[in-house]
Amino acid sequence: MSEFINIVKDHFTWRTQIFKLAVSDLKQTYSGSAMGWSWAIIRPSVTLFVFWFAFSVGLRVRQGPDGFTFFQWLLAGMVAWFYISDIWKEGANSMRRYKYLITKLKFPVATIPTFVSISKLWVHVGLLILVVIIYMFYGNMPDVYYLQLLFYMLLMFLMGTGWALLSATLASLSKDFLNLVRTFSTAIFWLSGIMWDPKTPRLQDKEWLQNILAFNPVTYIVSGYRDSMLYKVWFFEHPARLLIFLCELIFIWVLAVWVYKKAKRDLPDVL
Amino acid sequence: MEMIEKPVIEFKKVTKKYKLYKSDKRRIMSLFTKKVKGRQKVALNNVSFKVMKGESVALIGSNGAGKSTILKMMTGVAYPTSGEIVVNGRVSALLELTSGFDPEFTGRENIYLKGQLLGLKTKEIKEVEDRIIDFAELNEYIDQPVRTYSSGMKARLGFAISTNIETDILIVDEALSVGDAAFKAKCKQRVAEIMAKDGVTFLFVTHSGNTAREFCKRGIVIRSGKLVYDADIDSAIAEYEKTLGLRKSDHETKT
Repeated sequence: MSEFINIVKDHFTWRTQIFKLAVSDLKQTYSGSAMGWSWAIIRPSVTLFVFWFAFSVGLRVRQGPDGFTFFQWLLAGMVAWFYISDIWKEGANSMRRYKYLITKLKFPVATIPTFVSISKLWVHVGLLILVVIIYMFYGNMPDVYYLQLLFYMLLMFLMGTGWALLSATLASLSKDFLNLVRTFSTAIFWLSGIMWDPKTPRLQDKEWLQNILAFNPVTYIVSGYRDSMLYKVWFFEHPARLLIFLCELIFIWVLAVWVYKKAKRDLPDVL
Repeated sequence: MEMIEKPVIEFKKVTKKYKLYKSDKRRIMSLFTKKVKGRQKVALNNVSFKVMKGESVALIGSNGAGKSTILKMMTGVAYPTSGEIVVNGRVSALLELTSGFDPEFTGRENIYLKGQLLGLKTKEIKEVEDRIIDFAELNEYIDQPVRTYSSGMKARLGFAISTNIETDILIVDEALSVGDAAFKAKCKQRVAEIMAKDGVTFLFVTHSGNTAREFCKRGIVIRSGKLVYDADIDSAIAEYEKTLGLRKSDHETKT
């Protein structure tokens, strides 16, 4: 607990540096290449196009679930996934990437995953605005339900940052862990109901699958984004799932702080 | 009025042990279970000393004696296994000058980043920016990413940043021997300038006596992680060279 308070204090004391490092992290991701910022849009667009092409053209899934076109339905989930996959992979790598902050300078190490997470969140906000504009062309105008996107975004950010602190610490101690995390990225994508509808009737009788999905935080966030923009469902209409997510969030943070506390003194020595 | 001076740097019974594991997997396991044990290597053993404001001290020791471990802990980068370290004032360290940059940033951006991390305001950095660029002799390269720099350029930038930011404690590693003769002379002159300022504490780390004599009045000899001698510079160097000789003859009898 005291370690958690220390971490929060460090974040407060170094807040200006954290934001500056987040800006620089963002700049670095895209600057230095001739096309610069356009990569922030090109990359997700290509991914989106590939999936849309494979499903709509290749597999002839024109109609998405519940009367939406497949493209529309996919969009809401994918926009959340792009942040999740970024923080899943880059979060784990954050301390290794910013090694010089740990081994060469006196810097609060626990804030490294945070500024990386903030940097990814800004990309996410930009993409989300784009998605909202696309929806407006489809005639899906923003309404009061869109406000809860902020709520889901906050949950996603807190979960992502906690995960990043945990995985970055472990990845600093062992490169194997980093590879393990990267390997599982694709698996999580296909298992979390981003490309297929977890609520589809075909899957309803498979109770074990429903149970797994109910405990999958990625599914919760992705469904939340769809609820806000497509299904118009409030977050309090699924209180049990929210509760599960919050418990997992607390669990991840407790574990992350505990591991960080045990390992922090070794980090400058092993990196 | 008599003032009781507080030491700027104080090491109280500092011990540093590095934990060595057979594999990274075992290192992770050791977080979760006490069953997995690593070997411990003692890098520093019960070291205590004080450095007062305005002193100039040489840390003398051969490679692997524990000098860099002391420096890392002094700058707050590494933690002691036991004991306590007190440092009062801003430390500017000229160690491993070529590292500590973000390779993707330009030289100028790195100046700002380092300044911010040292707790300077943007305005304060702006004031010294030109001086730093001027001193580092980087000219138009200053707006290129640091990854494109040669090691000499990086070292010059590192030296320029560290010596142009107001500091209370200046730590210089022997790494000072960077760049060509002209730049070396410039560095020495700059260090002398800083030392001439009132109240700047100076620490010089070396494994040979001669340069130390130029700058320092006091010498601390470190051998195999232990502080073995702490007195005026001349006798410290004599002591250090004596043990060097011992080691050499040791070596000769073995071979």
